[in-house]
Amino acid sequence: MTSDILTCNFFQLFDVPVSFDVDLDLIHQHYMELQKAVHPDRFVNASAQEKRISMQQTSRINEALNTLKQPVDRALYLLKLKDIDINFENETTMDADFLMEQMEMREALSEVREKDDPLAELDRVGNEVKAKTKNMMNDFSSCYEADRLDEARELIRKMQFMQKAKKEINDLFASIEDEIY
Amino acid sequence: MALLQINEPGETAAPHQHKLAVGIDLGTTNSLVASVRSGEVQTLPDVNGEHLLPSIVRYVEGGVEVGTSAREKSIDDPLNTIVSVKRLMGRGVSDLKTLGNNLPYKFSESDSAVPRIITCNGNVSATEVSAEILKSLKRRAIETLGGDLEGVVITVPAYFDDAQRQATKDAARLADLKVLRLLNEPTAAAVAYGLDTGQEGVIVIYDLGGGTFDVSVLCLKRGVFEVLSTGGDSALGGDDFDHAIAEWIIEESGYKNDPQASLARLLMNESRRAKEALSDSAEINIEINRSDFKWSGVLTRSKLRELIEPLIKKTIMACRRSLRDADVTTDDILQVVMVGGSTRALDVRKMVGEFFQREPLVNIDPDRVVAVGAALQADVLAGNKPDDEMLLLDVIPLSLGIETMGGLAEKIVYRNTPIPVAKAQDFTTYKDGQTAMAVHVVQGERELVADCRSLAHFELRGFPPHVAGAARIRVTYQVDADGLLSVSAREENSGVEASVTVKPSYGLEDSEIETMLRDSMDYAEEDMKSRSLREQQVEADRVIEALDSALNADGDELLSKQERQTIDEARQELINAKTSDDSGVIKAAIKSLEKVCDDYVARRMNSNIQKAMQGHSVDEYISQDQE
Repeated sequence: MTSDILTCNFFQLFDVPVSFDVDLDLIHQHYMELQKAVHPDRFVNASAQEKRISMQQTSRINEALNTLKQPVDRALYLLKLKDIDINFENETTMDADFLMEQMEMREALSEVREKDDPLAELDRVGNEVKAKTKNMMNDFSSCYEADRLDEARELIRKMQFMQKAKKEINDLFASIEDEIY
Repeated sequence: MALLQINEPGETAAPHQHKLAVGIDLGTTNSLVASVRSGEVQTLPDVNGEHLLPSIVRYVEGGVEVGTSAREKSIDDPLNTIVSVKRLMGRGVSDLKTLGNNLPYKFSESDSAVPRIITCNGNVSATEVSAEILKSLKRRAIETLGGDLEGVVITVPAYFDDAQRQATKDAARLADLKVLRLLNEPTAAAVAYGLDTGQEGVIVIYDLGGGTFDVSVLCLKRGVFEVLSTGGDSALGGDDFDHAIAEWIIEESGYKNDPQASLARLLMNESRRAKEALSDSAEINIEINRSDFKWSGVLTRSKLRELIEPLIKKTIMACRRSLRDADVTTDDILQVVMVGGSTRALDVRKMVGEFFQREPLVNIDPDRVVAVGAALQADVLAGNKPDDEMLLLDVIPLSLGIETMGGLAEKIVYRNTPIPVAKAQDFTTYKDGQTAMAVHVVQGERELVADCRSLAHFELRGFPPHVAGAARIRVTYQVDADGLLSVSAREENSGVEASVTVKPSYGLEDSEIETMLRDSMDYAEEDMKSRSLREQQVEADRVIEALDSALNADGDELLSKQERQTIDEARQELINAKTSDDSGVIKAAIKSLEKVCDDYVARRMNSNIQKAMQGHSVDEYISQDQE
């Protein structure tokens, strides 16, 4: 047996080149085609084993989509395929400029409520985060393609910071809106 | 073993036979059953021409009444008449307090985590009450359609957690119904509007029923629905509008006592009548004349708006959050679909229209639209439309996590992840010499375990002692297409395993269900035996037929001579076993045939996938890898 959903890598699964810059539309299209072939709804009256296989395959396809869809997860996965250790838990050092920036942004967030138009201020910070994340993604892509994997790895850590910031901004949006409406 | 299932459309040998399948909307206030008949989907009426079955069950000496007749008695016999039982589905004793202030029933003190309502006909759980509603709809369907049902699709609020979904499935089992799929109500509504064949884009389903509010943001792309996000409130609905009105009446009347059950029910009924009337007129007179309560007054449309506006605002807030979760803005939205009887309230339509900046769709009866969609999906799943490409992809509504040190919930499967899905996470021990670990499975978005819903506890025991941090315990969460969870844990160094199908603290144990089934009048024990023998014989025939057809199609291509021989032998053994009058023997033979076919089935499925991927072959990459 050649092709196997359960063992090939996520890029192979969706038949796209192994790269950070992926065509998400194409991935989505192939995702749907695969789903149509393997989804448990296609095996409602099938045997227990077919159901099991169908569920395993669908689960894996979903896992693959989830991983490739999110830039940070996709980046981590690329490094994992290169056998790079992506356990950041015990790493505490970070470049000083970046940390400074982060602190300034947190400060801005903590003062948001005092602004005349807190939602507009949140939008501003949010857009900044978006723009920076985008730059980091571009940098990651070049580093990865040039096989400068240590740099790429460091960029992922920064992207994770930005991801957290984005979540905090969303939470703030929610709680401020709750107060207003 | 329906290997037939994966044949290309049109290859199926047997002539196509229409299978009876229905969709059931098991609602808080009303329930419905619908079916596709000669190409058209219809909700099925009872003998009196009523389509809606009030979701009300009354227990009387030696019997059960469901629907309108039960509703008529609800004021006189509130303790034996169970309304809005859906709110209790999958809820534990500890949840009752948060729900409890409006519940007139008496609950039994039992050690079981499942709350049981005391009635004159014994103590019943929410699952059993729901099963009575399902049985009633099932009878109606069988009488109308004239045959046994192949299966049902039952809808649940997208917001239902694992326990509530499980309880719904259990209720179906008690009613002896085969569940083809639990379908999220909003998805069903989108299907009913035929949005699956319409323009591609973002669709919002605003579903305000009697007892639940759901908002779902769906994305339709290439004929497939994807749920981008779901939100809502499983304890907010039109009942709360009635409540707000009833409280206003009590306040206006100066009544000081806690209203008794029958008075409370009467006030709720009057409130509902007033609310409904205000959809057509600007004001309505309310008059209540009882020995313990006398009051008359006028409720105007603007007063109504004042009373219910805070509740509608709560729904709008949930809409806002769901849009953000889905990462879309109101500009991206193509359609807004209104579902649920409470969307008839003019204020609701108005405020929803204002928020989304577009007229919501209201042309299908909002009470029936979910059942209609469920019936369409049941028709597809029963195999009546082999060429139909419709596939509904669902997401998990609430994150699934695990308790870690300090009472924190660590998420393992994030909400809005498409299902089915499997996710594994590694944990370790924190004490030297530790040989066991407790796994606490929780569901919810909050950081603290105490704020999440507890689904299950189990223990992984007997792995060899390690120094702290050296054991490697892999916990795997698997969620199936219905959104039901099973969890397993394995210590990787020793291979010690433990697992649990989440039958949470609030579900019924399998044995409980079996007992109930046995206790029910439908089957005496002898019946059960012969029934299960018949079932196995039919299954054996099906397996053999499916296998033969598969072997004919590609047996030579995919199997070596020896593999073929092994399969043929197992096939012959099953044919021999079929003559046995012991269902266990047949079952075992089926199992062993399936086992030797395992690889073959997998190969067939894989070759099917390759066909699906057509031009772009997965092989190219794989062979590169192996070089």
